[in-house]
Amino acid sequence: MNTESSDIHKEYRNLTGKKTAFIILLFILLLFSAIIGISKGALSIGMFDSIKAIFKDSGTAHAIVWKLRLPRVIMAILVGGGLGFAGTVFQAVLKNPLASPYTLGIASGAGFGAVVAILFGSGIASEYLVPGFAFFFALTSSFFILGISGIKGPSSETMILAGIATMFLFSSLTSFFQYMGTMEQVHEVVFWFFGSLSRAGWKEIGLAGAMILLPFPFIMKMSWDFNLLSAGDEAAKALGVNVKRIKITSIILASLITSGVICFTGIIGFIGLVAPHICRMLIGSDHRFLLPASALTGAVVVLAADTLGRTLWAPQVIPIGIMTSFIGVPFFFYLLMKKTKEYW
Amino acid sequence: MKKLVILTSDALEIIRALNAAELVAGVNSGTEENPLFWPKLKDLPKVGRWNGPNYELIAGLNPDLVIGYAGRPGPEMEKKLSPFGITVLRLNFYKIKTLAKEVKILGSILKKEKEAKEFADWYQQKIELIQDRIRKIDKLPNVYIESYTDYHSTGPGSGADEMCAYAGGHNISSGFAIPYPEVTPEWVVAKNPDIIVKAASIGRCYQIPKPDKLKNIRTGIIKRPAWDNISAVRKGKVYVLANDIWTGPMAIVGISYMAKWFHPALFKDIDPVLIHKEYLKKFQKIKYSGVYVYP
Repeated sequence: MNTESSDIHKEYRNLTGKKTAFIILLFILLLFSAIIGISKGALSIGMFDSIKAIFKDSGTAHAIVWKLRLPRVIMAILVGGGLGFAGTVFQAVLKNPLASPYTLGIASGAGFGAVVAILFGSGIASEYLVPGFAFFFALTSSFFILGISGIKGPSSETMILAGIATMFLFSSLTSFFQYMGTMEQVHEVVFWFFGSLSRAGWKEIGLAGAMILLPFPFIMKMSWDFNLLSAGDEAAKALGVNVKRIKITSIILASLITSGVICFTGIIGFIGLVAPHICRMLIGSDHRFLLPASALTGAVVVLAADTLGRTLWAPQVIPIGIMTSFIGVPFFFYLLMKKTKEYW
Repeated sequence: MKKLVILTSDALEIIRALNAAELVAGVNSGTEENPLFWPKLKDLPKVGRWNGPNYELIAGLNPDLVIGYAGRPGPEMEKKLSPFGITVLRLNFYKIKTLAKEVKILGSILKKEKEAKEFADWYQQKIELIQDRIRKIDKLPNVYIESYTDYHSTGPGSGADEMCAYAGGHNISSGFAIPYPEVTPEWVVAKNPDIIVKAASIGRCYQIPKPDKLKNIRTGIIKRPAWDNISAVRKGKVYVLANDIWTGPMAIVGISYMAKWFHPALFKDIDPVLIHKEYLKKFQKIKYSGVYVYP
């Protein structure tokens, strides 16, 4: 008996050890991508000079690296990390492989907010007008759906269907306002939808960072509950999980993360959907590991996409929203084809 | 020609300049949103948006001619209107190069050749005056022109690129492959332009009394991280130009402002406000009003 249980323990330690190693590997990869990101730009500042320039408080190189490159790299990490993380939460709670941070209509809500700000707020000259409206309407759409599921009960089907309906509603409203707009305004709206990290400065990082990082520990604390949820709502309930509370709290927190991300950068699609899948294929679905791994994967992909996007066709930038899909989709297909056993 | 429906505000301006406003039977719905600029025409029947008009309303007005942009609305406009015997005429009136020619075409169709010639001559003379002077300069200043969206520059094919050339500036984005590519803030710092011009979309300029919006946009650009390393920012040569004088028949006003910003000594005697006033009084029969640039 004794030897058998110690064997199981050993195997378990072995498994978690592998998962921890994977996360450490991702972290090293992220650090490496960040160093490359910091050393690439229109001005040729070498890798070591770039890193030195972070700490040296003078000269153009310092200004460039400290005020432009570093914020951009950090924003990419926050955005990718936030979307990967939130995507995992949505997939766990809604128990649907197609769920993503945008399933509850957050992206179209944010897009609608941006359109309203661009069309009607042209006079109110505040750099936070567009992000503010985008944030507000992103949260509005998810709270609307939470309200519906408060009445109907938080079943996955209700939330997903309500999310899709909200998405279509906001998309139509966006199209309607675009149709009303002048040529200049239509142009601005289109560019907002591409997403951009060029606007990222330290102030934006402070605001976005708070919205993205503060929910992290609370969600991590729920990772056991997510594991139990995958056995079904009834089973989880029987095991002592307060299903309703877990679902609603985690959706509010994940919506906050998603809104914090897209209000400053525009819509960066796809990564919140695939980062969790990539990790699930590689390390399985224990949320204690899946959550941080998805966040790191999202961060690596968005950072790599941005660095490639601003170097491949320099000085013209390939917008981040487009580039993320360009490098994420092929990698995703590769894993999908290679994977032999069912992973979802 | 007896009855016209005009879908674009650019064409409507030209119609008014040709003294043909009484022929207009219908206008686009945006006309209503700029009532001070269109004191009389704003009350005419509306036929929908410039890019998606209501063909039933147009047919109901039974005009002889409908004028829209070359590209939009699409070919469905001809398909929908030809059964009613309504001719579609497509004239842009926003490209500087072809403006005078388009005005003459419209003038001959409307039998307003005299007015068309007067307008085209006035326009050409203003353009030529600037061209004559900048031909003598051997080094043009480097200019970064940003479109309405932050960090989207203006490459070949954009109206801004064309205007910059007419005003005697070297657009640092003119070598790009697409009209409005995104650039990194660092690239602009690296290029270190002498002058920055920002396109601002602030609505109907004619009805705006104070330059606050333009001023705020300028402050935002000056305060961008690390942009204090750019020559234009250090020397205060950051200018904001509002949408209404970017393209369209009033682009000549925008060009005059740019020319003066690019070559202050060379165009000391040119006052863009006077050109603007003259255009509005002589051709549009309205008083000067609104804000268009800052500072």
